[in-house]
Amino acid sequence: MKTVMTSSGSKPDKTSYQSHLVLETLKSVQGPLIGLILLCVGFSLSSEYFFTLRNWLNILDQITVLGIVSIGMTAVIIIGGIDLSVGSSLALAMMMAGWLERSVGLPLEVSIFLGIMTGALCGLCSGLLIIWARLPAFIATLAMMSVARGIANLLTDGRQVVGYPDWFTNFATVRLFGFVSITMLLFVVLAVLAGLYLRFRANGRNLYAIGGSTEVARLSGIAVNKITLIVYGVSGLLAGIAAMTLMARLDSSQPSAGVGLELDTIAAVVIGGASLNGGVGSIAGTIVGVLIIGILRNGLNLLGVSPFFQMVIIGVVIAVAVSFDTMRRKSR
Amino acid sequence: MYSKLSKIAGVSLLTFAAFTGNAYASNKCTIGLAVANLQADFFNQIKLSAQDEGKVVGCKIITVDARGDSATQVNQIQDLITRQVNAIIYIPAGATAASVPVKAAKAAGIPVVTVDRNPAGAPGDTFIATDSVAAARALGNYVAKLTHDKANIGIIQGQIGTTPQIERSKGFMEAINHYPQMKVVERQASNQWAQDEGFKIGQDMLQRNPTINVIFGQADALALGAAQAAKVAGEKLIIVGFDGDYAGLQAVENGVLAATMTQQTQRMGRLAVTSAVKLIKGEPVPKEQLLKGTLTTKANVKKFIANHP
Repeated sequence: MKTVMTSSGSKPDKTSYQSHLVLETLKSVQGPLIGLILLCVGFSLSSEYFFTLRNWLNILDQITVLGIVSIGMTAVIIIGGIDLSVGSSLALAMMMAGWLERSVGLPLEVSIFLGIMTGALCGLCSGLLIIWARLPAFIATLAMMSVARGIANLLTDGRQVVGYPDWFTNFATVRLFGFVSITMLLFVVLAVLAGLYLRFRANGRNLYAIGGSTEVARLSGIAVNKITLIVYGVSGLLAGIAAMTLMARLDSSQPSAGVGLELDTIAAVVIGGASLNGGVGSIAGTIVGVLIIGILRNGLNLLGVSPFFQMVIIGVVIAVAVSFDTMRRKSR
Repeated sequence: MYSKLSKIAGVSLLTFAAFTGNAYASNKCTIGLAVANLQADFFNQIKLSAQDEGKVVGCKIITVDARGDSATQVNQIQDLITRQVNAIIYIPAGATAASVPVKAAKAAGIPVVTVDRNPAGAPGDTFIATDSVAAARALGNYVAKLTHDKANIGIIQGQIGTTPQIERSKGFMEAINHYPQMKVVERQASNQWAQDEGFKIGQDMLQRNPTINVIFGQADALALGAAQAAKVAGEKLIIVGFDGDYAGLQAVENGVLAATMTQQTQRMGRLAVTSAVKLIKGEPVPKEQLLKGTLTTKANVKKFIANHP
């Protein structure tokens, strides 16, 4: 943590490209990062349990689902959209996999694959509503949110599917080398891939162009509709993948999973410096945002702060974190 | 402005840290209380009585609220384990899926007291609840008495698959099945046991099936919602609830509800804490501790309002 603090303050080191890249990334998320560091310092001073390896691994474990879904949401918000359906898509993907395994009798591997695809399908449906029916993203995904939640409940008539084989739940519970679980690893790998893609691939850069101005992007030859469809599809796909990690973690599928998840993800992305107007945002920022939300909940629990007061604190921190960022942008 | 803001934030965080910093050294016994949903008065009452009892026995009670989401609850139990609490009182949020936290706590060697709902695959070291089957049976028989063994009943269920939902349905049906002229014509589940759900479900039920003359809400909040729906529809129905929380008792006194089943909420919270303390000390505690519910009507409601068991 200390090295991060000093390096973000000093001038960029141009001797090597790699360290330059790291510095630049850190600088771009400076505002939220300072908030994150303050939080860590505060909690480390106030709870002896906070700054331990075990707790950090717990936090990583706890933010996996939020983190994976937030990656997709980052792309959606960068193109100037919004995806309210992620929580419901997650529930539907989870229930689809559970239902296929339990009621239809497919092997779990196949059910998991089809569950993830169900998530992607939800995203594609939202995307189609947006590009063909010209619905505003807010309305299209709001509709999808309701439909997906309904189907998730319909599959088993609102009941949960409980008890998966050990090989599956081990993905979330067994920590390799006593350290990371497969699901945590999955989150880290997905985040790195998405970050590099958005940063270095032409198609990744195109997202920012679309978010900046759809019309200009279209005129400069970017396939706006196709990319929009893919972005929502990927958002759904990631919700599906997150659903499987949650399913392994809870050892069950629940139709009520992920209620309110869309709001947490949007908050994480915006805390990470993205603009709801589109064109601005980064995976690195989102990860910081996800960490802020995750660490806040974890730390307040460790301190034993009253649950009602926790809600107040979380709201205030979201407001403060985002105002940090907007003030910094203005003062430039 | 920006640097000013960060200074303010930094200072306030440090003060916050200083305040809470000395809190953790003073208590020798800490109990984590993981509640399903504090928006439900029933759970909130248990929380309050557990906190009071904590003061009596000299244990610090740390409360976390899952707001009805089991994924959140798993995280919170993880935090309690990290916090090295001596015991966990656990009111599962989801239905049957609630076994993961118990397993995690057991793996960490922390005793678990489950309240109201017991995970099937991994029960707590002791389970405290109302004997819902017997209580709901008594309630069913009372409804039969009120309606002279003849009724069309709508049931507003709690969250499907949770222990109280299953047992209240079971007990109530055991009673009803004795009377051939009493039929359950509608049943629908809620997700949160909440009053607004009760209102909506009740309204739709009455719309669909005007022959209904009795509604059983499996929680007082559900019954109160249904009562409001009946009032809006201008119908005079017999409505009964379950829980005996404060609003429910008042409704019984005002005649809005015909009856409710009062659970010993205060005693549950106290018993949970004393059981946790026993488990910490390694003393034996029974696997199940079922408390009796009391049928509450206008005749006996006053004493429960004055002094909740």
